[in-house]
Amino acid sequence: MPDRKRLTMLALLGVILVAILFLIPSAPDLIGAFFDGAFGGRRNFNFFSTLSRSSLIVGMALSVLLSFRAGLINIGGEGQLVLGGLVSALVGIYMPGPPLLVGVLALLAAMLTGAIWALLAGLLERGFSIPLLVGSLLLNYPASFIASYLVSHPLRDINSGIAQSHRIPRATYLPRFEGTILDYGIILTAIVAVVVIIAERTTVFGYRARTQGYSASFAQASGFPERRMYFQILAGSGAIAGLVGYIAVFGIAHRYVDGMLVLPLYAWTGVVAVLLARINPLWVPVAGFLFAALQTGAAGLERSAGIPREMAQVVQGLIILFLAGGRHFLKRPGGTTE
Amino acid sequence: MTEPVTAHSPDNDKAALCRLVGVSKSFGGVHAVRDVSLDIPGGEILAIVGENGAGKTTLMNALFGLLPPDSGRIEVDGKPRKFRSARDAISAGLGMVHQHFMLFPELTVLENILVGAEKANPLGMIDFPTRRDEVETLLGQFGFSLPLDARVSTLPVHARQQVEITKMLFRRARIIILDEPTAVLTPAEIDGLFDMLRRLRDSGRAVIIITHKLDEVMRVSDRVMIMRNGEKMLETATRDTTRDSIAAAMMGREIASPPKIDCRQDAPVLEIENLHVTRETGLSTVRGIDLTIRAGEILGIAGVAGNGQKPFVEALVGLTPVAQGRLALAGQDITHASVGTRRAMGLAYMAEDRMQTGLATDGMLWENTLAGRETRPEFARRGWLQKRNIRDDARSIIKEYDIVATSPAQRVKDLSGGNKQKIIVGRELSGNPQLVIAENPSWGVDIGAMAFIHGRLLDAAKRGAAVLLVSSDLEELFALSDRVGVFYNGKLNGIFGRDELDVYRIGAAMAGQTSGETDDA
Repeated sequence: MPDRKRLTMLALLGVILVAILFLIPSAPDLIGAFFDGAFGGRRNFNFFSTLSRSSLIVGMALSVLLSFRAGLINIGGEGQLVLGGLVSALVGIYMPGPPLLVGVLALLAAMLTGAIWALLAGLLERGFSIPLLVGSLLLNYPASFIASYLVSHPLRDINSGIAQSHRIPRATYLPRFEGTILDYGIILTAIVAVVVIIAERTTVFGYRARTQGYSASFAQASGFPERRMYFQILAGSGAIAGLVGYIAVFGIAHRYVDGMLVLPLYAWTGVVAVLLARINPLWVPVAGFLFAALQTGAAGLERSAGIPREMAQVVQGLIILFLAGGRHFLKRPGGTTE
Repeated sequence: MTEPVTAHSPDNDKAALCRLVGVSKSFGGVHAVRDVSLDIPGGEILAIVGENGAGKTTLMNALFGLLPPDSGRIEVDGKPRKFRSARDAISAGLGMVHQHFMLFPELTVLENILVGAEKANPLGMIDFPTRRDEVETLLGQFGFSLPLDARVSTLPVHARQQVEITKMLFRRARIIILDEPTAVLTPAEIDGLFDMLRRLRDSGRAVIIITHKLDEVMRVSDRVMIMRNGEKMLETATRDTTRDSIAAAMMGREIASPPKIDCRQDAPVLEIENLHVTRETGLSTVRGIDLTIRAGEILGIAGVAGNGQKPFVEALVGLTPVAQGRLALAGQDITHASVGTRRAMGLAYMAEDRMQTGLATDGMLWENTLAGRETRPEFARRGWLQKRNIRDDARSIIKEYDIVATSPAQRVKDLSGGNKQKIIVGRELSGNPQLVIAENPSWGVDIGAMAFIHGRLLDAAKRGAAVLLVSSDLEELFALSDRVGVFYNGKLNGIFGRDELDVYRIGAAMAGQTSGETDDA
């Protein structure tokens, strides 16, 4: 255990060092700009923007956490997210009815869609021996192409110059906290986080899932209902990703814009956050928030210092490298790592 | 530990090509190989025999440079050598044919033979016609025939093996090690392989086969070394020994039977009718087992590894589907029941593979003691874990089984091997099971823990449980069992009552000899 903690610290430290090395000459200014971008702004505007982003990233991280904790390498969060967001937008735009009902149905439809897309990857593995890792990854592509096509052609808002859907009715928007740009989506994410953490700690299902993640053959020999859990976990994981899509549409963009869920790498940032938190549920929200701050902070750096915001992704990549490669450096001669 | 049976000195008339002197190798405090010395002369086929885990493969890996020995030395042609890698070993004249062939399926036979010995010119080009001539000469010399231009992926298994051997010969190997070479071959192909090995021997090379099939040892080897628990138990000329004494040396022969109370009752607990199990590979199977285990009985299962015990147990537990036949637990059909159902009906399973199957070593102690019992009312109410009861239960197992651990929250991987096994035993026996299936329950644990585990199994039987004890340790089987069934080739080759337990008799049955003595069925 101490080894792994050291590893995580090492990863973060290394990244900070590299970042400082790059920025030495004007470090104080830049660090100021970064923190202002992540937490400052007029009436803490940027802080709320970080929170808003973290509601998506933490949500995706929780989706990943559920699968990873049970040893299922579902990295299809992106496709589940995209289709969830798209379907919720369509429900919002095309379904008549009282706004509250439409909103709730959009939420449920998003979760259902995400779950179905995740189950599809599971069926590919169980029915056709396509490893979950591969199947879930590859299903990301058709998902985003389907979404691109729909909002570029049949369902496009022809009054706008870009590929996006029509706007959902204003009355169905997720409300915002008074005087901020932060929407109630973060409450949904918080509820999911609490449910996932409590379920993992205190229920038979969570116990079985976690133990299965430790060793699948142990779970099998202990007589856990392995097959049922496999599909339940995938469905839950996909439903959370779909829910995040709903938050992005109803809380932030109010329509589906082509690429809006793919280009910011929400799903992949979620994976990295889970790895940084070492699949420990309690730390996942913290790690997710850190990455959200990293991204909004980088946007601040871009505004005030002209440093491209893609640097945030470089730093994120470095964290992965340190996490993956650090293991190698920590290996003591003669001893073994995990 | 028993003394080596015969301190037979190897024939001194042949100069040793290679010599191991006092080689030891341990992994994490466990001795895989302990102080083994061995002379390997040319012109001889040496069989290294032992159970799984006896250290034979580790010994050969040490010889071949894949695992540096902790102590002792390796001499080739009388000079001490330290191999840092297989490459070093190959250049010293050693060659190893692994159980899983190391070939490139998409390359041709010729290309595979040349890999690593291509002798490219400075421009990186290979003179294929010349190399081809060399390979053909070599093949002719040993009377092998191989289609040099065929892709390896199109060849049958025995031809691939021949490619591996030719590869070694092309690298001028004088000492050729084959790890379980017959495991993948049919009987006719085995004949072919043995002819080939004899030709290698007659050319003055040393041939070493690692195996646990005794009839093959008798057929092809000139000398045999038997290993057990990492030690050399016996080394002798093959013609001077018998299968039975080899089996006895493999399994250990000093068996002191402690008083065992017969507490057998009439009620059948597990009924097995005509059980067949087919593995995906089709290689290792169970082919028609009929057996009834009664309450209070400890039924031992002996057999050389790979004769079907493993799939047999997996089918009983529910980890492998039953291909044919019927299983009943306490009168209820469980042929196709899930592991969970069988456990709920009172099945307990102590898996041989502790680190992966018996335990979740990354988990905490309570997570391990709970498994398989997590839905009992005292541990879960409406799907919510009753943590206090679970912890108390873990604490009582720690106490009752004398497990050295600080708290139920301790990670299992930080515990010693004996304590790990006690967690499994404690968990499995704490629910008062009707049927206990134990696979090598005391393998690798110290003598104290072993005695403790044996005591617990006897207690379980006294309480009326039926116990199926699968073990590679005859001592253990003889000490605990009311009857011992011997597996050979996927079938029961005899069941022996307590008064018939004799190491030579069991050894003969393990080696495939039939005896008239089967009671029950």
